[in-house]
Order: sequence, then C-alpha cells, then structure tokens
Amino acid sequence: MDSSIYQAYEDEIQSLEEEIKLLAEKYEDGQQESTFFSEEEILESMYASFHIKSSQRESKGFECPSDLKAELQSLETDLSFLMKFTGIQFRSHTKKTMEKNGDRTVRKHRLSGNCHSMSFHLEFQLLEMQNKENVSAVITDLSIMMDSGEDSDVSKFVSRVEEHGSLLTFFRSLSSYAEWHEHRRCTFLHFK
Amino acid sequence: GILAHLEMLERRAQQVAMEEGEAQKQEEKLERLKARVQELRLQRDELRAKLDLQQKQQLGQEGAVLEVEPPSARAVLDWKMKSVKAMLELFYLTGISGKLTKRGVCFCISTAYEGTYLDSYYLDLLIKAQVEIHHHSIPVFIPLEKMAKKYLQTDIRRFLCVLSDHLNAYVGRRYQADQLQQHFSDQIEGTIQRNSLCNLLVFNYNVSSKSQTFPFKVRLVYGDLCCSLPTEVIVASTPDAPASLTQTAAAHSDLFRRMALHKAFRSFCPAEESMD
Repeated sequence: MDSSIYQAYEDEIQSLEEEIKLLAEKYEDGQQESTFFSEEEILESMYASFHIKSSQRESKGFECPSDLKAELQSLETDLSFLMKFTGIQFRSHTKKTMEKNGDRTVRKHRLSGNCHSMSFHLEFQLLEMQNKENVSAVITDLSIMMDSGEDSDVSKFVSRVEEHGSLLTFFRSLSSYAEWHEHRRCTFLHFK
Repeated sequence: GILAHLEMLERRAQQVAMEEGEAQKQEEKLERLKARVQELRLQRDELRAKLDLQQKQQLGQEGAVLEVEPPSARAVLDWKMKSVKAMLELFYLTGISGKLTKRGVCFCISTAYEGTYLDSYYLDLLIKAQVEIHHHSIPVFIPLEKMAKKYLQTDIRRFLCVLSDHLNAYVGRRYQADQLQQHFSDQIEGTIQRNSLCNLLVFNYNVSSKSQTFPFKVRLVYGDLCCSLPTEVIVASTPDAPASLTQTAAAHSDLFRRMALHKAFRSFCPAEESMD
C-alpha cells in the first residue's frame, strides 16, 4: 500500500483547512472593525429581542435571544465594574489576525484608553499557542504612546517596557502611578 | 492431484479478489481525497473573494455599496457581544480581571515575566458586612493571610496590588530558574536547588579558564518577596581554582545582583546557550 500518493492530498487538505480558518478569522475581524453601532441601536436591538416569544426560537439551536441579551448585560456589567475598579478605561480596540496555523495564532492589537487622567495608545502583537491545558500568550512589538510623554520619568519607563514587551508591568505601574497622581491632584485642588 | 490443484486455484482466486478489493478501496479513498481537496479549494477561493471585496469596500474603492437591509437585532447584539468579550480578554493582559458573582466578585490575577504571560490565580471574594475570601488558588507559601489582614477590609484594590506584586515576583523568580535550567543545562552541575517560594536558590556551575573547568558555587537569597532580583549573592570558587577566578566570581556576583539570572548567564557565556 503506497501511502505516499495520499500524502500529497492530505498535506494539501491540511494546509487548505488552516488557510480557511485564517481567512474566516480575518473576514470576521474586518466585519467587526468596520461595523459600529451606537448605544441607541444596541438598546433597540435588546428590546427587539425581548419581544421575541420563545415559540419563535431560532431553529438552528442558537440560544434564545433573551438569553443573549441577559449574557450581554452581564458581561457589560462586569466590564464596567472592572473599568471603575482598576481605573483603566478602554475607549477603542481593534484586532487583526495576522497568522493562524495549527495551534499558533498571531494577532495585532490597537488599543486606546486612559487610566484616570493619563491616556495611552498601544499597539502590540500577541502570539497565542494552544497546548494541552491552556493557552500561552507572548507579547511582541509593543509600542506605547502616552500624552504625558514629555515627562522624562514616564518616557524612560515607557522605553524600558517597550523593549521587553512588559505589557502587564506597564498596566500595573500605570495604575498605581495614575492613582497616586490623581490623589495628588485632588489634594492640591482641595487646598486651592 | 486434482484436489491440491483446485485448492491452489481457489487460493489464487481469493487472493485476486482480495487484491481487487484493496485496489478498489484505494481508488475510492483517492476519489474522496480529491473531492475533499476540490471542496476546500472552492471554499478557500470564495473566502478570498469575500475578503478581497471587504477590503475594497473599506478602502472606499468598490463604488456605491448596495444598501443591504438594515442589520437584524441579532446581528447588532452579536457585534456588541464580540466587542465586549474582546475588551474583557484585554483586562486579562493588564494583570487584574474578574467577574461579578451573586455574592461578590471573583478576581483573576495574571502574572507575566516581561512579555510572557505565566500562571494566573483566582480569588473569589464574598462581599458582605466583611469581605471574605471564599475560594482561591493562591499557593500556600504566599503570605495571603497577612496581606488580607492588613488590607482586605479597608482597601481591596491595594490588597490586590500587593498580592499581584508577590505573585508576579514569585513567578518571575521561578521563570528565571526554569530558563537557566533549560538553556544552560550544560554549565549547571545537576539541578538548581530551590524552595517552593523560589527565593532561595543554590546551584553549581562550571567556568572555564585556560581550557580547564572549575565549579562555582552560588547561593542566592531573594529577601524582598516582591522583587525578582536577589538581595544576597554568594559566588564562591573552589580552593584549588586559580586566583584570577576570584575576580570572575566577584564579577558574576555583581551581575546576579543586577540582572535576571538567565540574562546574566547569557552575558558571560553567549556561545553556550542551547536554543530551544
């Protein structure tokens, strides 16, 4: 039995399947990025779903629209809690899938937001690899722009963080610094 | 005789039938594979065309876009859901994320060494008259109780920051020792001895001088549990080592105080690192 005749086909099948996954994800990313719905449109959609009776449950086995609405509200509550608690607010976020083969996915992220009164704009690549128990994540090509960029302490800190891709350190430090900064600002205002 | 001959003919017929059966199976499998390839190629080409059109539309190149029916409520909610989920995932990258529960909140503390994310730990808090830790996955050697006593009731955020500092430092120390063991195993004698908190490391490594190798003994103590650099470093050469090596030992000692372990090793034996 000559298995090598199958090999070429099987290899092509695998490479096609991976390419299809990548293309589908790129298309999804594109759709997500180019779409925008206002808060009113989202609220309208939530009310529309609310009125759909369960007898009209979609036949493809999707969750009932009111489940979707409940889950969305729960996630939004979590998100708004986190933003309030940590002081980190994300204003805009886009991601693009650059590579996807086997267990490896590379996505490029652009993220803007602020932590208390300090705003930031980040770009980075995130490499995720699926192994047996979990997904490992590594940051590369980190680039950070901050409004308070003239402050030499801040710019030294930012270059060090960019050099090592230390995104987590950036956020942890930004969070404490911004809180301290905010506290100081409030204290000064109090004494004005 | 005839019987033997008949038996032989029968065996041969069976063999031919079997071979024909095999050949047919092979052909069928080949046909299936070919069909699958065609199917996938078609799917791939359709996606490519779709993506191409999408990119043209986004660049405003594709003339007047036919106004399709307004998006369904479902589509709008799906879009919003994706957007919210993506932001929640981002919080994971910031080091503190979580979700509200019926009785409080379950926090997730993620750790990283530079750009590599490592373990994450959860802390399930009950918010009642007092804040209580319901469940957690914090290792026993992290002084959780002490931190909780000091901060949990008055400043949850501060509590999480201090806990995060401890966890990140622990994971950072562990990562350095792992990297050293993994990439410089040729230089290290045996294994690196460490305690569970990874704030005490003891190991021997080889240093060459004039084509002879000498062992150095190292003892590293990380006195600050929130730090991933040691506070005490002892690097000692053996008595029979040449005098020049005491200088090397001092230089290495200084490096270990200032730099991550695996980076220090990389700086004094760049050629020896085994890439993985």
